[in-house]
Amino acid sequence: MAAVTTERTPAPAPAPAAARARRRGRAPVWRWVILLIAGLYFLLPLYAALRFAGLKAFGTVFTSPGFVPSLWLSIRLAAVTWLISMVLMIPTTVYVHLRMPGMRRLLESVTILPIVIPPVVLIIGVLQVMPLSLRASVWMLGLEYVILAMPFAYRALDAGLRAIDVKTLTEASNSLGGGMFTTLWRVLLPNLRTAVLSATILIVAMVLGEFTMASLALKETFPVWIVLFDQLNANISVAASIFALVVTWLFLMLITVIATRQSRRTGGAEVTLFTVAPRETIGN
Amino acid sequence: MADMTDTVTAPGSHTDPGARRFPPLLRPRSNQARALARYAGLVPFVAYVLIFLIVPMVAIIKYAFVDPKTNAFTWSNLDIATHGSYLHGFEQSLILSLIASVIPGVFGLLIAYAIFTARGRGAAWLRQVVITASGVFANFGGVPLAFLFIASFGSSALVTGWLNDIGVNIYGWGFSLYTISGVALVYMYFQIPLMILIMLPALEGLRPAWREAAENLGARSWQYWRYVGGPVLLPSFMSCVMLLFGSALAAYATAEALTAGTIPLTSIQIGSFLNGNVIAGQENVGYALSFGMVVIIAILMTCYVLFQRRSSKWLR
Amino acid sequence: MTANETTTAKAAAGTAGAGAAGGTRGGTSVSLRSLTRTFGATRALDEMSLDIAPGELVALLGPSGCGKTTALRIVAGFEFADSGEVLIDGRDVSGVPASRRDMGMVFQSYSLFPNMSALDNVAFGLRMRKVGGADRRKRAAELLEMVGLAPQAGQFPHQLSGGQQQRVALARALAVEPRVLLLDEPLSALDAKVRLQLREQIRNLQQRLGTTTLFVTHDQEEALSMADRVGVMRAGKLEQIAQPAELYARPATAFVAEFVGTMNRLPGELGDEGRSITVLGVTVPVQEGGPDSGPVDALVRPENLTVAPADGGNGIVTGLTFLGAVTRVAVRLSGDTEVAVDVSSAAALPMTPGTAVQVNLPPVPVLVAHHED
Repeated sequence: MAAVTTERTPAPAPAPAAARARRRGRAPVWRWVILLIAGLYFLLPLYAALRFAGLKAFGTVFTSPGFVPSLWLSIRLAAVTWLISMVLMIPTTVYVHLRMPGMRRLLESVTILPIVIPPVVLIIGVLQVMPLSLRASVWMLGLEYVILAMPFAYRALDAGLRAIDVKTLTEASNSLGGGMFTTLWRVLLPNLRTAVLSATILIVAMVLGEFTMASLALKETFPVWIVLFDQLNANISVAASIFALVVTWLFLMLITVIATRQSRRTGGAEVTLFTVAPRETIGN
Repeated sequence: MADMTDTVTAPGSHTDPGARRFPPLLRPRSNQARALARYAGLVPFVAYVLIFLIVPMVAIIKYAFVDPKTNAFTWSNLDIATHGSYLHGFEQSLILSLIASVIPGVFGLLIAYAIFTARGRGAAWLRQVVITASGVFANFGGVPLAFLFIASFGSSALVTGWLNDIGVNIYGWGFSLYTISGVALVYMYFQIPLMILIMLPALEGLRPAWREAAENLGARSWQYWRYVGGPVLLPSFMSCVMLLFGSALAAYATAEALTAGTIPLTSIQIGSFLNGNVIAGQENVGYALSFGMVVIIAILMTCYVLFQRRSSKWLR
Repeated sequence: MTANETTTAKAAAGTAGAGAAGGTRGGTSVSLRSLTRTFGATRALDEMSLDIAPGELVALLGPSGCGKTTALRIVAGFEFADSGEVLIDGRDVSGVPASRRDMGMVFQSYSLFPNMSALDNVAFGLRMRKVGGADRRKRAAELLEMVGLAPQAGQFPHQLSGGQQQRVALARALAVEPRVLLLDEPLSALDAKVRLQLREQIRNLQQRLGTTTLFVTHDQEEALSMADRVGVMRAGKLEQIAQPAELYARPATAFVAEFVGTMNRLPGELGDEGRSITVLGVTVPVQEGGPDSGPVDALVRPENLTVAPADGGNGIVTGLTFLGAVTRVAVRLSGDTEVAVDVSSAAALPMTPGTAVQVNLPPVPVLVAHHED
């Protein structure tokens, strides 16, 4: 890459050119060491589990008794959670960004709470106060999942809103005659597509992995089924969990790749789950 | 916006289609009313959080002080919850959470920084892979996770076998998946991804201009970190570690799957109250235990907010 | 230069010099030789060469993407040229890391360390050079005094305005008595009034200290008013470098002519083998360096044309722009060419839109460029 011009005298000593090339990498060694260790830590157990379960198990997963009903229940719960989350969080986050920017800190702290409040504690309280009819229904779980999903949903939406100039867009829309609902639906939401997508997948990931509250509330969701079935056939159980993990991961990658491609076309930003990075900070 | 129409048209008159008017009843009259109206937009959210989060929590606090038989106020629940095996449970939980928050905190920071500053071909791809993986793994836990580790680090498992082959007998050293350190090792599987996710936004606040300015003024790498980078990142790092601490404290499924009660941990002890194996007269101790957790969390959140406030002043 | 040498030199300079300026280092010359830098498919720098004399302030001016910032960052050591070299006082510094080049840099914005007060920020470079606590605080205070921010010494960056922050950044860069001062569009993030004040301050300081300075900007007014010489860049190449007046009056290429100030384009006919051009009915000599055949335009500044009301003249007034002492008169000539002519505002009074006027070109050499529609 560094072409040393020789037609001029004197040619630069080899040391500067070498130093130049060496420093371009900017000490990459530690970076790869860390990533290697991390990669090992995360992938080895997966590999070990796969070896134990055997690839055959993957075939029989889908036909195991209880797989389909529990997965279907989890999917329905995810859908309900998603719907309520979006209807609740999008207007709220937009509203706070627009009218009460001072509240953003408070909102962030509130939405962080579910990470630190033990689901055990939450369910114990919920089971105490919920009216019997609601408690028996499976949708109660969905309502509480909205709370559990809040941290991820809020952070994704907040990142999306920070990346677009909400105030200016809204004022522009209003000056052209658009009311609040029109602005939200036609102007803001299309620009928040990525954030909404990220939030969606995170909600799905959360619901497909949530065991504590579901089992203590005695509802057989997919993660609960995995644990119950484990007593019968460990291989299939493990295969099912790895299946859920990999599928969710692939989905997330797909979403972010599509989103990045879309946003590159409209303005050149790299999109990640919680941040939309402008070119200056990431690239050169 | 609302006031403009007053001067143009008389109330009640038919105006051209473009103008927007509030019906007289809803038009805010005074500054106070206007401020109140602003808060109105938050009502749905606040109501939801109130019903599904605050009310259950309040119930817990209430029942922590209620005698299950007489429904009278009592300290006995709290008394039991802070002694004996329950006290031991709190201790163990706190120790576990400390280990399982500081260590993944440091690792998570290093990984986040590694991917954030990566340049060149494949850097963007690397970032996407790690971030999406973090999003997924942060939610992974419970029995499947426990199984993953039993299959690799258990006494007769894959990695243990490999290590034995090269002469490293970890079980000979007293390692076990079913001790505090073993559980902490497993916890890191979702703690590290969580750290990556919550630390990345803070890293974005580290401006490249600071690094370059420091270099330009003669600072070498370690000097930059000692005088600028480190101090600036410290508050965010601390607030993230607070969150990890809370998350470790809250973990239930994984701990249960691994230890099945052999190590006393508060979250599992609370869970057992729901399963019904309680001593008569102590039915409400579960609420007292939960109350204890809520208190710890409140302290945690206060520290978190204080650190956040400091860091946001600098990382604007 | 090791830390010890620096401290000794500083001590010597400190005792020899008087007052806040603290003694200069004697000028440093900077030479950029054939710098080339390619990013993927684009050539950010294309064999760019530049010589800066000791104590001189050279401004690099150009549109975004022309490579001026890249050149600056290569001099600073934050980026590396694919080929070519940077010589400081005749010595190649390409192998020297940025932290040891002994240059001071002021960034576009937000480069102050947020966790330190203004004083500590300014003292940072001195701390890196192992100057003792009391000494470095004293020197930092002197510099803050120089930029007029002594009362703000204890304040933190988030408590300072944009203009104040940049002044602290300037003080910080100068605290270490750098051999070269580098400025990367330091004023573009500030509002107009502050920009003007800071412009003067930077120039005064630079002249007082005699520091060799390289200044990058896209604002031509800034460049023309501050620099000893201005270099206009486009697409990685230096199109012309000259003193501001020279650049303005005798632009070497059409790009420079139109980038610096306003230029009118008047279609004309070449004659005398390209040595003269007939435009607006007069024949004037052609400045060297332009095309000598084909359809061409003459490039004339608004203040070099004359306009006066005249029935049956060669144009009609289409608009007036009041600029203070001078008014810019927009005229459409027969042939549909639009020109702008600057006249004193008093003289412009009778020339309302629609007035018939005569636009004339005095018999001075003009720059000529290929015709553009």
